[in-house]
Amino acid sequence: MLDAAATLTQDRQRLELSALSAPAVIFTVAMIAFPVVYTIWLGFQSFSSTGKQSFVGLANYSKLIVDTEFWHGLWVTIALYVLSLVLQLVFGIWLALVLFHAKRLPGIVRSLFISPFMMPPVVAGMMWLVILDPSLGAANYILQCFGLPPSEWLASPTWVIPTVALIDSWQWTPYVALIVLGGLQSLPPSVYEAAQIDGASPFKTFQRITLPLLLPTIVTAAILRSVDLLRFFDIIYITTQGGPGNASNTLNIYGFRVGFEFFNIGYASALMLTLTAIVFGAVLAFNRLRGAVAW
Amino acid sequence: MNARMFAVRAAVSVLAVAVVSAEVRAADFNWKKFQGKTVTFLANNNPVAQALLTYKSDFEKLTGMTLKVDGYQEQQMRQRLVTVMNAHSDEVDVFMTLPSREGEQFAAAGWYADLSAMAKNDVAKEYDPSGLSQALLKAATFGSKLTSMPMNIEGPIFYYRTDIFKKCGIEKPVSIKDVEAAAAKIKACDSVVTPFVSRGLKPAVAYTFSNMLHNIGGTYIANGKSNLCSPKGKEALDTYSRLLRDFGPPGVVNYSFQQISALYRGGRAAMSFESSNELRTVMEGGARLKDTALMPFPAGEAGQVPTVIGWGMAVSSYSKQPDVAWYFVQWATSPDVQKKMALQGIAPPRPSVANDPEYRKWIDEEPVRKQWQAALDVLATKGSSEVGYPIVANPESREFIGQAVQDLILKQKSVDQACADADRALDALIAQK
Repeated sequence: MLDAAATLTQDRQRLELSALSAPAVIFTVAMIAFPVVYTIWLGFQSFSSTGKQSFVGLANYSKLIVDTEFWHGLWVTIALYVLSLVLQLVFGIWLALVLFHAKRLPGIVRSLFISPFMMPPVVAGMMWLVILDPSLGAANYILQCFGLPPSEWLASPTWVIPTVALIDSWQWTPYVALIVLGGLQSLPPSVYEAAQIDGASPFKTFQRITLPLLLPTIVTAAILRSVDLLRFFDIIYITTQGGPGNASNTLNIYGFRVGFEFFNIGYASALMLTLTAIVFGAVLAFNRLRGAVAW
Repeated sequence: MNARMFAVRAAVSVLAVAVVSAEVRAADFNWKKFQGKTVTFLANNNPVAQALLTYKSDFEKLTGMTLKVDGYQEQQMRQRLVTVMNAHSDEVDVFMTLPSREGEQFAAAGWYADLSAMAKNDVAKEYDPSGLSQALLKAATFGSKLTSMPMNIEGPIFYYRTDIFKKCGIEKPVSIKDVEAAAAKIKACDSVVTPFVSRGLKPAVAYTFSNMLHNIGGTYIANGKSNLCSPKGKEALDTYSRLLRDFGPPGVVNYSFQQISALYRGGRAAMSFESSNELRTVMEGGARLKDTALMPFPAGEAGQVPTVIGWGMAVSSYSKQPDVAWYFVQWATSPDVQKKMALQGIAPPRPSVANDPEYRKWIDEEPVRKQWQAALDVLATKGSSEVGYPIVANPESREFIGQAVQDLILKQKSVDQACADADRALDALIAQK
């Protein structure tokens, strides 16, 4: 009898708690679900240049398959992603090691090292646009001081992707370094003491101990940067707007132009949903990798 | 009395009645009619809006209304507008628009309220709608709808360094060929300075390229098809891209007005083909005040057909208070406000303001301002508002013009290939309804 009463009370409490939290849960779900569902719905619509709307089923997705600009955008997105991610992971790990070992480095210097990622990307883009201007910028002046030929940087179809990748890496390598530094600080000292006793060289220690133990942290950093890099927009828009020609026209920039400059919101939604699927795919792949390297 | 005379007399009588009734209405005009109301203005944060909004409090004092300003950079303003209009929202009453760019598109989408009746019937005595540039009013009329009222007049003009021309023994260019010859001479005479600079950034190219195309005698469309591969079209593409490739600054494919003005103002370009609006920026610091001359872009085979455009103020068709919004549009495009803006370097779209003694005094203070006004007078009388293709998808058409020019600057395609690729894409745009 008593048990039944207690269960009833518990059920009632649970119901009350659910009722109290329901508005917040409904609001949060609606805030996340509505834009996604709306974008999916838009992907099945066609908007003419004058804003007239009609249901077209999967036509936007079949158009995407034969759209050379889409495939070019996908290639640019992936090229920029791979190049930037590699640069940021390599230099991020290196910077983290420097900060980890240089324990006497004053706090202000440490803060300076990690400050770029605190800068708004629009400001970073404007700053680099000025620095890399082939006529007026400091970059070519410095190159010429060392007797090197000037470069067209962002204005060269060949160099624009490496240059944009460098700008993004300048900004986000410290962020990767900060994550890796956290991982380094959590590694067990006993393993290093054992390696020292066994006479392992610093390189061997890094190769056989630090790197394998850091892998889960590195993969986490890679996941975080992957999501950002595949959605990369601001710096490209500020510096090149997808140019010269369409050399830096990523899927994001292409989708933005289709949607907001040419007013074809339906096709832009289809493009963005495809990009979202790619981002999810990359995150899932990295998550599996993280599971495999966990210790 | 014959039938013709009767008709003339009848027409004169009707006109007289119309004028008298308009005057009566103007005399009845009350700026405080909508006291207490709020007007929301979606503004492009450019020098035109900045100059106008200096007098925001004057409007609020005159009308007793509140002006809520929603200001963004140009592209962001359009994004906001597209979102608001697609949602059929009434949150914007008045917005800035470029009829030469988006006029066809916005008019076809039904986003503009028709201002014809309000501009005729609901005006203050001093407003004088017929005093506004007729070319710009025409450019803002789609079908029979007057979609916006002109805020300014602008277009690309030719800035050149008189000191460098003198040093290199070059006469003032009178033709496009002279510009190219001058650039070649400057390249040989002064290796430090960039001989010629203009727009190379893909979406920005059409603004200056259109002037070149029209001067050469080309047209964008012939017989309903894109005409870039016509001999004149190819000549324009070739000349424009050759000038930038051979005599422009490195990285010119990323150049729009900011970079061009910075280069010229810094004394690192001898000739610049850029917007008349950039005068204030170019003259900032005063370094270029005494060594610069201005004129419309030199003539081609078809003479001088400069590009002339202007920002306009439109009332949203979804505004729930178009009559209230009209009061703001009227105030902002009135002779008094346009005179004040003109004294800040915003070229007025009213000949009466351009002839105002106070404005003339400001113009006469510097020779360069005189030349600027003279160039604008040519733009106002001879100008064409065709920037890119006169079709609904005008903004997209500019992309393909820019792409063709960039392909040539970067030597990625031959002229034949670049114009053929552009024509193919543009024909598809023209065919779109």
